[in-house]
Amino acid sequence: MTPCAVTTGFFTLGKCGQMAIAGCPSCGRALCADHVTEGGLCPECAAARNQVGHPAAAAAHRRRAYRHRSATEYSDYGWYTSFDAYDRAAFDPDAAGNQDFRDDGDDALVDS
Amino acid sequence: MADGHRAAYVAFDRFPSTKGSAVHIRHMAAELFDRYGGGLLCVLGGGGLPSYQREGDVEIVRFDAVVPNWLDRAEAFSAWVADRLAAHRDTLEVCHVRDPWGALPALSLGRRLVYEANGLPSIELPYTWPLAAPSTLAKIADLERECLLKADAVVVPSQVIARTVTARGVAAERVHLVPNGADPVPADVPRPPDAPGRYLIYVGALQPWQGIDVLLRAFARLADLSDLSLVICSSVAPSRSRALRRLAERLGLTGRVHWQHTLPHAEVAAWLAHAELSVAPLTASPRNLDQGCSPIKVWESMAAGTAVVASDLPVIREVLGEHGRLVPPDRPAELARAVRVLLEYPDLCADLGRQAREHVENGYTWTHARTRLAAVYHGLDLR
Repeated sequence: MTPCAVTTGFFTLGKCGQMAIAGCPSCGRALCADHVTEGGLCPECAAARNQVGHPAAAAAHRRRAYRHRSATEYSDYGWYTSFDAYDRAAFDPDAAGNQDFRDDGDDALVDS
Repeated sequence: MADGHRAAYVAFDRFPSTKGSAVHIRHMAAELFDRYGGGLLCVLGGGGLPSYQREGDVEIVRFDAVVPNWLDRAEAFSAWVADRLAAHRDTLEVCHVRDPWGALPALSLGRRLVYEANGLPSIELPYTWPLAAPSTLAKIADLERECLLKADAVVVPSQVIARTVTARGVAAERVHLVPNGADPVPADVPRPPDAPGRYLIYVGALQPWQGIDVLLRAFARLADLSDLSLVICSSVAPSRSRALRRLAERLGLTGRVHWQHTLPHAEVAAWLAHAELSVAPLTASPRNLDQGCSPIKVWESMAAGTAVVASDLPVIREVLGEHGRLVPPDRPAELARAVRVLLEYPDLCADLGRQAREHVENGYTWTHARTRLAAVYHGLDLR
């Protein structure tokens, strides 16, 4: 796994370290889903171009758009909006019980 | 025909793969597509699989977006499936799904829905994601219930799962039992070139509920049988076997346990056919007791004519019946004793293998399973 190289923290700084899904096209550093800005840049490069916004804006935007769309499409079952950040945190890659499962974690489910 | 499929099969599972679930998808989807003149198969990709394939009347599309969080990925898969199905809105008649993530977009289209409940995420997820809170799992259970209640037919592979879904409110007349199956292995299948002399075999994935740790501990008690090896045909990558390899090392089994990883399905039959015994040491866990399963490893061992020693659980009794040796689950000493006794009586072993094979041939091949599924589709078409 390539860890996200964005610096995070307020007083104690460190690298984000979540699984990277993209690279910043400007400086090349690895970026996780939470730190890709809307233009695909890392938060620092985006700020340098005056595209200031919350680093998680792109991810939040995608999720919000999907919830909005699915709520209409699925006759508003209300399920998607019911999963909150607390629910989601248990399914982050680092939360897997057996880290050996991480290489192909999704198909560990529902084995016949 | 570039568009306009009448049927879609949706699975939040990688396909093809070396796992039992992929064998299952292969046969169930084939029946659906035969009946409806082709169709759309929406599955997970990755691992070098192409994102799009066209095989005659069947279109295969694979979801390969990288979404690190599992729940986000499941939802993104749902959205992606909704887009794929929308293209066939005018012609689609039946959607066949295996999980809530496929069922939601299918339900929104309002077409006939066949929900194949092989497992319930609310029961299986905590094994992989132990931090998932009870409240989260309750939400997922609600989601499952909603999808199961709205499905036109619920297909289950065992009576245990049938009881579980009816307990969740699904009307019994909408639940259809279609047990898994296996195709008989030819009697003259050649011995695998790297097979050890005499060996016990375990085939399958390595999740905690499979009980491979129990098997390793039992095998350590057979140390006096120095000509006997244990072959573990893992359907998953070597990285998943690290903890079990460490256990084997601690038990002093290095050199006596042979690991085979992600063998093609066709090769597994030869390994099974030449084993002394096949072992299915499933644990007495909620996944096996409350949820249920129909272990393809047991069906395939029976079809290969190899005697099976398995845990005494309701799901195994359903499959194996009188045609194998049942032992109390989670008891290495009992398992070791049963293996030792059977090895002492090779005629009894051969008889059990023959009976098991006949049992499969007479009613539980994949052809039989497909006929049962066809009857479910037929019932839907008559409505």
